[in-house]
Amino acid sequence: MSQKLVIDPVTRVEGHGKVTVHLDENNKVTDAKFHIVEFRGFERFIQGHPYWEAPVMVQRLCGICPVSHHLAAAKAIDQIVGIEPEDLSLPAQKIRKLLHFGQVFQSHALHFFYLASPDLLFGAESDPLKRNVVGVAMEYPELAKKGILMRKFGQEIIKLVAGKRIHGISTTPGGVHRRISAKERAYFLDDQEIPSIDTMIKWSVEIIEFMKTYHITNKKFLDSFAKYPSGHLGLVNKKNGFLELYDGVLRATDSKGNITLDDVSNDDYNQYFYEAVEKWSYLKFPYLKHLGKEKGWNRVGPLARINICDGIETPLAEQERLDFKAITNGNINNMTMYTHWARLIEVLYCAEMMKKLLEDDDILSNDLTRKGKRRNEGIGIIEAPRGTLIHHYEVDDKDRITRCNLIVSTTHNNEPMNQAVRWVANNVLDGQAKITEGMMNQVEVAIRAYDPCLSCATHAMGQMPLELQLFDHYGNVIDKKIKH
Amino acid sequence: MRNQSKTLIFGIGNCGRADDGLGWAFLDKIKPHLPNNYDVEYRYQLQIDDAELVAQYQTVFFIDAHKNSFEKGYLFEVCHPRATDSFTSHELDPKSVLLLTKTIYHKTPEAYLLGITGEKFCLSMGLSNIAQINLSNALDFFNEKILNLVN
Repeated sequence: MSQKLVIDPVTRVEGHGKVTVHLDENNKVTDAKFHIVEFRGFERFIQGHPYWEAPVMVQRLCGICPVSHHLAAAKAIDQIVGIEPEDLSLPAQKIRKLLHFGQVFQSHALHFFYLASPDLLFGAESDPLKRNVVGVAMEYPELAKKGILMRKFGQEIIKLVAGKRIHGISTTPGGVHRRISAKERAYFLDDQEIPSIDTMIKWSVEIIEFMKTYHITNKKFLDSFAKYPSGHLGLVNKKNGFLELYDGVLRATDSKGNITLDDVSNDDYNQYFYEAVEKWSYLKFPYLKHLGKEKGWNRVGPLARINICDGIETPLAEQERLDFKAITNGNINNMTMYTHWARLIEVLYCAEMMKKLLEDDDILSNDLTRKGKRRNEGIGIIEAPRGTLIHHYEVDDKDRITRCNLIVSTTHNNEPMNQAVRWVANNVLDGQAKITEGMMNQVEVAIRAYDPCLSCATHAMGQMPLELQLFDHYGNVIDKKIKH
Repeated sequence: MRNQSKTLIFGIGNCGRADDGLGWAFLDKIKPHLPNNYDVEYRYQLQIDDAELVAQYQTVFFIDAHKNSFEKGYLFEVCHPRATDSFTSHELDPKSVLLLTKTIYHKTPEAYLLGITGEKFCLSMGLSNIAQINLSNALDFFNEKILNLVN
């Protein structure tokens, strides 16, 4: 008798997905898939709206990373009003970057402390009643307190620039709408009301040290779990190839480090990418056209970014990058669980960059906007916390959006996450007579490394169960578990 | 009797999901009537960092949409710190937030949950007729019993 095992929804990811694992009569895995079953439709319903509404509307895609959508759309709209990223005033560039680093910092902190640390600290097969953020807080209260304050710091930066922590507004076509005041800036530097940016840097270093210690005792797990070869894609600085989150050129490598996308301009992305569709998922499968669907898919996000960049401009993060690269003798790292480590290096990079920007008097300037020659098309690409985010808009002569294409970070990671699920299915579930909760959680551990942001869902009390269903090959439910 | 302690009201929900916006709608309606010792916070979902905020208050109310039915259209109950068998940690229930406050910050504010029954949770703006009636009942209760605004 063949069976189908369903994990629906996947937990501790942003939004909800479903995993199905097909077993034959001997409990051998025959297939495994990660389905995205929520539909957003933003690309359609933004059509007809004036272009200047795009940065405000599209950030509603998400309650976790709205800043990334806001900034990617803003970069595209800048082009529509004739402003390239380098044409923005220096104060506007720096204020936008401050917002972006605050966003990535808080999002990465959220992921590590709230979502990943329970699996790392207690083990993927530990008691699920303990294996959650409350368990972490009870057992490691100082760690939890630092996690809370680091996330709060990033959110306060967002609030400073955009007016509120979620769905604020910072950008205007060709710039930003307000400067930072000296008093506002002091809040982040003087260590009075909240821990200062220097404390954030110190704690970021401490968390990486924690990860290094964890690595010593859990190397086998980190080296092997959900390891598979893949391409790696992200932005790098167009001048020196360094890590770049706000504006750069597109670079990709294969699993061995051979360049597959050679520092391509944002405006040319459409020549290189194609998006495949599968009937079992709403999420598309992007790949590099010249490599084809089977070989052209790439991981995006922290691991990919650290893999492809030539360096990091801030000293502490650069030293951590060198230590990280030394683990693989400078070669590409294809070990999924090292994504957590790479994410922490980016936490440190963001902290160092926030300090640099906060101490820069340009953010106090009133030179905030630029105007250029109106166009009918704009492309904005940014490195969101979860990876490369592409916004592409076309507008008519009446300023209405006629076409919108979004390739979000989690879309790039669609095939990598499916690969991760297949790895767990083949290496953990295959041949097992009984599937335990711990085994099921390992599927989620593999997915969670990518920090997927599937969508924000309704959450009314009492109605968001974890549903597990077991089907026979006739489609009959032979077992069902619901966890509220 | 009117509560004089420093008090926080969380409105939890997503107004783009029809009746899931009940928590926010409650705050919109109650805000003009609140005394100075009350603060309000709008949330899509509660998260771990809310534990730090909760630690700064003596009394906390959590207002959220509820899918279960109640005689008066709402549920009001005391909320105690407790580890719940929640399967997710990117949104926490009020009891878990209170437990974090107690564990990390050693504070245990008086806390209450007000769940207002909704009917529609689809992608749309605005409350259903039933949700509006339940919201009105919940507001009457809060005004009368908590704020003591009704004679």
